Amino acid sequence: MSLTFDILLLLYLVAAALVVAQAKDLLAASIVFSSYGLALCLLWQYRGAPDVAMAEAAVGAGITTVLFLVAIGRTTRREK
Amino acid sequence: MRRPIAIALVLLSAIPLVVAVAGLPAHGDPSAPVHTHVSAHYIERGAEEAGATNLVTGVLLNYRGLDAAGEVTVIFTALIAVLAILLGTGTTPESTASSRGASDRRGADRESTVAPVSPIVSFVVRLLAPFIALYAAYVILHGHVTPGGGFQGGAILAGLFIALAMVLGTRAMQPVARTALAPWLQGAAVLSFVVVGTVGAFLTGFFLGFPAEPPLHLVRELLIIALEVGIAIGGAAVLATIFLHMEAS
Amino acid sequence: MTGTEDIRIAVVVGLACAGALFFILGTVGLLRLPDFFSRIHAATKCDTVGAGLLLAALAVLNGAQPATAKIVVLAGLVLLSSPTTGHALARAAHRTGLVPYHAEKE
Repeated sequence: MSLTFDILLLLYLVAAALVVAQAKDLLAASIVFSSYGLALCLLWQYRGAPDVAMAEAAVGAGITTVLFLVAIGRTTRREK
Repeated sequence: MRRPIAIALVLLSAIPLVVAVAGLPAHGDPSAPVHTHVSAHYIERGAEEAGATNLVTGVLLNYRGLDAAGEVTVIFTALIAVLAILLGTGTTPESTASSRGASDRRGADRESTVAPVSPIVSFVVRLLAPFIALYAAYVILHGHVTPGGGFQGGAILAGLFIALAMVLGTRAMQPVARTALAPWLQGAAVLSFVVVGTVGAFLTGFFLGFPAEPPLHLVRELLIIALEVGIAIGGAAVLATIFLHMEAS
Repeated sequence: MTGTEDIRIAVVVGLACAGALFFILGTVGLLRLPDFFSRIHAATKCDTVGAGLLLAALAVLNGAQPATAKIVVLAGLVLLSSPTTGHALARAAHRTGLVPYHAEKE
């Protein structure tokens, strides 16, 4: 049971990483990257590393996304 | 032509990684090197030796405090470099204010596309702000007992600052960001390591040494808390300043 | 196993099932509804009511313990933040000129 949860989260991470790498819409890529951070945070919490999970939730899913969004607002939304 | 080469390179670099991971001991294997060398000592003696019930903090700030000091120096140098790039592009808040006449049209364009802040979002953020601040303080000050610590709490503080800046407007945040203390706050993490390391050197004879004798346990705990608070203030100040300069440029 | 204990477990199961139902409905709505506003509406229900009911089930399951207070605080946070997020998204979409879907216009 625990392995199933792990494998699902890991598969989601791989899928999200591929989507982020392929997406031409940078706004969508930032949001998917935020969900990538959230899944990683869940995986870490589940694997018994709450310290890292908290850092990932605050920085990975929160602040980097905000900084990406600000940067997209300052430049362009489409990848050229 | 480039795509097959890229895929081939990815596969070529993936194969050694997969082989290396396959050679690792199984997860939770009690005879793995991780469990037979220092870990057992940390788990048995860590709480009393390092002065932190949260073993992660104990290892991070006490056993390998020098590594943490180097790590913090590297991270904060990188963050300051990012700030320097943002400041070096000549679009600091003052320069936009002074050249407002020249870029008036752009400012007017922006004004029309940015909606005023929703009163509902503003109310909820301001309602939750004290609780978020309390949680950040708890994560920072309780980091040596429960999961959390300076990095995590600092990131939460920076997030709170960014949320407030979005709701109240970056202009309202300028008085906080432009105090004479700002450079000291941004350097707080590295400075706290220097100060705590020097105090430790006086107490134990080693830089970043923590006194282990029972009468000085309170001092040891205070030193760890000082490190956590320094890291948190430094992280929050730098991240929030980067956000403000990106917003204001 | 006393009678009150049975009732408590029944309440927990009922709340959890209702919460799960809201999550399923919200997800189906998110996938099937025609435009941004109706999807936001479905997704916000899923977060607010679904997570709220599941947290209520957990609180009842836990009984009178310190951890229950944390769950109640968490439920309050979800009840505050999730509708606010939905509102902010819908407002941003409306402000940027997204027109809601009307079946008769097709």
